[in-house]
Amino acid sequence: MQRATRISINLIFFIQVLLLFLLFFEHRIQLPAWLQVAGRMHPMVLHVPIGILILLFVFMLFRNTFQKKQFRKIMLLCLMLASLSAAVTALFGFFLSIGGDYGVEALQQHKISGVVLSVITFFILVWYQNVKKSEIVFYSAFVFSILVLVLAGHTGSVLTHGENFVLAPVTNKEVGELDVNTASLYRLAVMPVLEKKCFSCHNESKAKGKLIMTSIEKFKRGGENGKVLLEGNSDSSRMIKYIHLPLDDDDHMPPDGKPQLNTFEISLLQAWIQSGANFEKKMSDFADDDTLKKMATTAIGSMIAKEEVKQYTFKAASEDVIKKMNTPFRTAFPIYQNSPALQVDFFVKESFQIGSLEELKEVKDQLVVLNLSKMPVTDVDLTIISQFKNLEKLNLNFTSVKGEGLTNLKSLSQLQSLSLSGTAVSKEALNSILSIPALAEVFIWNTPIKENEKAELEKSFPKIVFIHTLFNDPSKLALSKPILLNEGIIKKGELLQLKHTMPGVAIRYTLDGNNPDSVSSSLYEKPIVVNETVKLKALACKDGWYCSGLLEITCYVEGYKPTQVTLLKPADKQYPGEGAITLTNRLKGFTDVLNEPSWLGFRENAFEAGFTFGSNPPLIKKIVLSYADNLGGYIFPPAEVEVWGGANAKEIKLIKSLKVNQPKSYRSQSMEALAISLEASTYTYYKVVAKPVNKLPLWHGGKGQKGWFFIDEIFFY
Amino acid sequence: MSKEFIDHRFHITRRHFLGKVSLGLGSVALGSLLIPDLLSKSEGPIQGLGLPHFAPKAKRVIYLFQNGAPSQLESFDYKPMLNKMTGQELPASIRMGQRLTGMTANQAKFPLVGSNFKFNQYGKSGAWVSEIFPNIAKVTDDICFIKSMHTEAINHDPALTFMQTGAQQGNRPSMGAWLSYGLGSENKNLPAYCVLLSRGRGNGQGVYSKLWTNGFLDSVHQGVQFSSSEERVLYLKDPEGRDRADRRKMLDNLAQLNDLNYKEFGDPEIQTRVQQYEMAYRMQTAVPELTDLTKEPDNIIKMYGADCLVPGTYAANCLLARKLSEAGVRFVQLYHQGWDQHGNMTGEMTLQAEDVDRSTAALIMDLKQRGLLDETLVIWGGEFGRTNYCQGSFSKDNYGRDHHPRAYTIWMAGGGVKSGITYGETDEFGYNIVKDPVHVNDFHATILHLMGLNHEQLTYKHLGRRYKLTDVAGKVVEGILS
Repeated sequence: MQRATRISINLIFFIQVLLLFLLFFEHRIQLPAWLQVAGRMHPMVLHVPIGILILLFVFMLFRNTFQKKQFRKIMLLCLMLASLSAAVTALFGFFLSIGGDYGVEALQQHKISGVVLSVITFFILVWYQNVKKSEIVFYSAFVFSILVLVLAGHTGSVLTHGENFVLAPVTNKEVGELDVNTASLYRLAVMPVLEKKCFSCHNESKAKGKLIMTSIEKFKRGGENGKVLLEGNSDSSRMIKYIHLPLDDDDHMPPDGKPQLNTFEISLLQAWIQSGANFEKKMSDFADDDTLKKMATTAIGSMIAKEEVKQYTFKAASEDVIKKMNTPFRTAFPIYQNSPALQVDFFVKESFQIGSLEELKEVKDQLVVLNLSKMPVTDVDLTIISQFKNLEKLNLNFTSVKGEGLTNLKSLSQLQSLSLSGTAVSKEALNSILSIPALAEVFIWNTPIKENEKAELEKSFPKIVFIHTLFNDPSKLALSKPILLNEGIIKKGELLQLKHTMPGVAIRYTLDGNNPDSVSSSLYEKPIVVNETVKLKALACKDGWYCSGLLEITCYVEGYKPTQVTLLKPADKQYPGEGAITLTNRLKGFTDVLNEPSWLGFRENAFEAGFTFGSNPPLIKKIVLSYADNLGGYIFPPAEVEVWGGANAKEIKLIKSLKVNQPKSYRSQSMEALAISLEASTYTYYKVVAKPVNKLPLWHGGKGQKGWFFIDEIFFY
Repeated sequence: MSKEFIDHRFHITRRHFLGKVSLGLGSVALGSLLIPDLLSKSEGPIQGLGLPHFAPKAKRVIYLFQNGAPSQLESFDYKPMLNKMTGQELPASIRMGQRLTGMTANQAKFPLVGSNFKFNQYGKSGAWVSEIFPNIAKVTDDICFIKSMHTEAINHDPALTFMQTGAQQGNRPSMGAWLSYGLGSENKNLPAYCVLLSRGRGNGQGVYSKLWTNGFLDSVHQGVQFSSSEERVLYLKDPEGRDRADRRKMLDNLAQLNDLNYKEFGDPEIQTRVQQYEMAYRMQTAVPELTDLTKEPDNIIKMYGADCLVPGTYAANCLLARKLSEAGVRFVQLYHQGWDQHGNMTGEMTLQAEDVDRSTAALIMDLKQRGLLDETLVIWGGEFGRTNYCQGSFSKDNYGRDHHPRAYTIWMAGGGVKSGITYGETDEFGYNIVKDPVHVNDFHATILHLMGLNHEQLTYKHLGRRYKLTDVAGKVVEGILS
């Protein structure tokens, strides 16, 4: 006995500490499921301490009838049980409160009284063990504990049953069904708003700001600052003023953190006060075109609509079953938290097996949405689906269903939406299931069903919406341009590859700078051989489409690489590139980003560079300069180009000189190739000169100023 | 204590905990209070799939973000008054001294300028649409225009970040990440959040990965950016000489190594990584089918326009967005760049509209004819609006407009929004909102609501406080809910 007593007392002490901890740090706690179960036993367990404490009280009244030693033992045992059960009850209570959604004020009172009760019974227990105890302390503590017990019991009952539960049958007036014809507009439309957003603080028991809105007379009388509504003058009514205060204002109503009124609710309240804040006037007493009546009707409508969320009567499948229904290729989930209704989706048709559809029989009552889009489901498989009797939405788009199995679905009396787009279902096959009473929409785009047949269906089944082809555009469209697959500078021997993403397209092209046409230009059949830089122009054509726009790209092909390159005059300081090497490093730039290493820019100086070919110079027939054409940025083709040739830098002569055609107006920016044909020669040294435009033309925004010349590569063929 | 430590503790397994702690029953009870799953066998609710708080109207989102801020005055917010008063000064009573950007604040004059494009009314709803959007005009009865959007940011980066993450500074999770966190992935073979980019032909503004970041959420919720090349998801192909079985073996061995690491450190990111490897493995089967657009029937190609077969175009992204959404991807985010018309409004706006008009309308029709529009929310719009006065030199044929955060138009279609309506209204100068303003936070709250989530309950604890997409603001716009 003594050992048991010691252990119990220690255990009870431990719980006391835990309780005090919880009282202060409850918000830090997350509750595991098994403790939630314990929490839910609170309403049962709580009767034990009540019973034992009352029993103790009775014992004490009759204590003279017992032997003193026996009495002490009984008392000790009872006290121990009372203290233990009070502690456990309080602990379970905490568990329950963490999971539940209770009003804050009453809950706090209940918590504190529960903990105090637990502590005081423990105190009494310890005190009673003490031999030299003072009787007065013991009895007063005991009476106090009974008082706390009553308080805890009361606050607890308020939490479970609501206020005034016990006396409600005597005091409450009967609340009947509301009838739109007899009930007042206030009761029907305005009060529900106040009930939701105001009553929780402005009621008989709380009365914040001394305002009570739950009683019509007191509502009219107002709060500590006087009337809150001025009949017929909503803007001056305190209630409306407070609603419109900024949210961070202390007087703003409802206070920050509480559910706020939405704009519609505010305008409804305003309209009601404006029209006189009448509490009695019936809906039917208002004129039909009265704004307030219209708003009230909307409000009532939306309240009804909100309650329309479907309630299912079947039981939810267990979590384990739902988990079993989930595989990487099949997803099953409740349509929302705590809903028994399930949605199941199938994905990745390569992984579909008919067995995975059959497995769904385990949730055949719960299955409400089934998505089999693109799965190889056939008519035979529809017999499985016909067992899912609560199915509301079925997606069979692009399945292998042909139609003869559709009749099986007739038994799906809840089916509202059926998607058959992209299947081979005919009108006749579809007809067989259109009598399903709930059916509201059927999707038959991309099926053998024709437009006129759809019209017939609509006539026979006016309640059902049929969605057929939505896009009817007989006009011709242009194709997209072909795509060049090669990137950057083309290596010697590399072939040009063109592509178009639409099947059945003919690509026609030219390499000579002329525009290709859809009939006589070369047809692209295999990759194109190119030996030197060319201007590729290509377009795509296909029957039923307009030919695409022109793809115009200069394809730069690798040439002979000089062994040494020198810049005879430096490039502009702002655009130095990487020096002379820039010209032969095979790096192309972009015409809109010039301040980067692949470009050399010239303005004050002309471009002048020397190129040395080793001991065995190749036969050169052509030189190509790759330059930027960006007129808006003052970047023009060179005005004049010269090519010099010789054995070395000192012994050279002019072998070619030409003037370059200059643009007549602005054009979009591009990368251009200037080809200079030479008489075939084998000089060891070439000098190339390109002079920037000296004065920009009159039509240009910078007329008279110097132009720029930008070069990124040079090629020798 | 820093978040990492707390997180670490929360992810300790039962064995881990019991192995390291041996203080008896009391400790276990206390421990189990701190770590809820300590004594339970199950791994929590269905893995990787959160559930809506209430019955959702929309299951998936396709957000067609028009990056750079398309002008509402040249598209959907018709203001004939501006045409009447073109060239006249913006009345001070309208501007009310509100702040302007540094680009026009020093302008000596603010001449009003009307749209160069004609407007007409379309559909049963009689919505006004400019002539450069002839195809969107055909689907107005499926659209809900919101003409009263407003934001606090006045420049692209903060405004864009605000629209995407609910905060003007970066580092918060983006909307798609929140939805992935709240609802999980419907299809376990694909990421829940995909991002598709395209460049327009007008003055462009950049997009960057902070717009589709997971922020402080697990990295599994990060948006997956698809490539604009022909290979839309890079590195999905098996390397030459290696087959799928090799890959499987490699992943299994790698998973064992990762598991060792996880047991040692308990870092949840390790598990995220393993899950991502597994998903990538399954994507090897799922993605090629999705990104192969050549099997689409001819009428679909025609509907979206020929460009839809050219990877990296807006049209191709719209078509791909439909395919991804159809395959259960929770949030598909498109960005189309080039809408920043400070100048050359007439020319650039025409090109930009040409890029998006046909395929946007096609997306709506395509979803509808498959029965998917009522469960897919399509959103079209930019980060703010443009001013009713001209920026820079003003001529009759051409003009520019500066940033205008005070009022702009976006539209939504499908999943749970009323169709064929216009919500909100601006004044006749298109400058201030006169009816039903919708703030960016309200916009977010509404989207979450449509997806079945209460924006005040979808929270994540980070740095000692609970974060929400809407932070401490946001009201659901009841007026647009169907």
